[in-house]
Amino acid sequence: MPKKILLTVLLFYILTLIQTSFLVHFPILGVIPNSILIVVLLINLLEDPKGNLGIASALSGGFFLDVFSQKPIGFYILILVFLAFSIKFIIKRHVRIPTIKNI
Amino acid sequence: MKPTIKRRGFLIIIILFLLFILLNLYKDNVKGFFYDFSSPIQKILWQKGRGISFFFQGLFEMKNLKEEAENLKLRNQELLAEIDRLKEMERENQYLSEALNLQINKDFKLVMAQIVSKDTSQDSLLIDKGQRDGISGGLTVISSSKSLVGKIGSVYKNNSEVILISNKKSNISVKIGGEEINGIIKGQGNYKIIADLIPLDKEIKAGDQVLTTGRDENIPGNLLIGQVDKILKKDISPYQQAEILPFFDPGKTDFLFIITNY
Repeated sequence: MPKKILLTVLLFYILTLIQTSFLVHFPILGVIPNSILIVVLLINLLEDPKGNLGIASALSGGFFLDVFSQKPIGFYILILVFLAFSIKFIIKRHVRIPTIKNI
Repeated sequence: MKPTIKRRGFLIIIILFLLFILLNLYKDNVKGFFYDFSSPIQKILWQKGRGISFFFQGLFEMKNLKEEAENLKLRNQELLAEIDRLKEMERENQYLSEALNLQINKDFKLVMAQIVSKDTSQDSLLIDKGQRDGISGGLTVISSSKSLVGKIGSVYKNNSEVILISNKKSNISVKIGGEEINGIIKGQGNYKIIADLIPLDKEIKAGDQVLTTGRDENIPGNLLIGQVDKILKKDISPYQQAEILPFFDPGKTDFLFIITNY
């Protein structure tokens, strides 16, 4: 698990660099899609609701977004962690979908 | 005794809260640390991204190129005529300055910087010059065509943040058109700018150039900002507003210039 989390942190660091320096040149209808938010959402949607990888991805993705933005550190962390918990809560209580573990 | 889930949750929240406070107290150091070793990679990514986006832009706009070339030729002729006229005026101005014994600095003292990244949510850029290069907060940033880009915000050891003129925090006094009508430009975010506080009795039109007045701290006068795109008049307001098309586009450049002295 720590290896998985370490890889997640590395993935989000690289993704943030790509997001802030490369993807900013490709706006879609004037909006630059936030790839970190998309990946965090996907991990949390596809992961087993009992897993910790979703929260780790939200923490690391949020941290790197905070570092490479003008916002105070903690702004994106809180948003993404809240999102991750909400998704986990909804999936655990109300939804039954095939998760990565089950697949 | 094992702590209950509620207690554990409360403890995690407190630890996170303290961690956020600590990280924000040393925000500049934390950000500076990451910027220092990320800058070289980000510079490469920025250049590659710009190159690829140019390529695709060219492909999409191929059909308009012929028409655009014709328009540009026409515009070029107009500008050549304008240059001749301005050269004549410059010569006159030089004679007058010498006659009046004025000390006019023709150029600014500039520091060149490369764009490293862009904040995804706000109109700000990160450049590769910082405290070590003599950069301090509040300095003016211009493009190679001497159009205003923004002001320096936070400064780190090797990097600085540029608050673009389209940032919501940005307010700059300007003059519009040949009559030099005074107003203030306000950033709206997402590269949008509006000019505000323009008296209703003054007439502005689309295409009028917007320049700095030089009244703001650290911002020299007569720097190009953009041109009037659309005029917004409200009957109840004593002032009119105008949407401004900024000359500077961060997606189309790699380098910026910081005015350290003028």
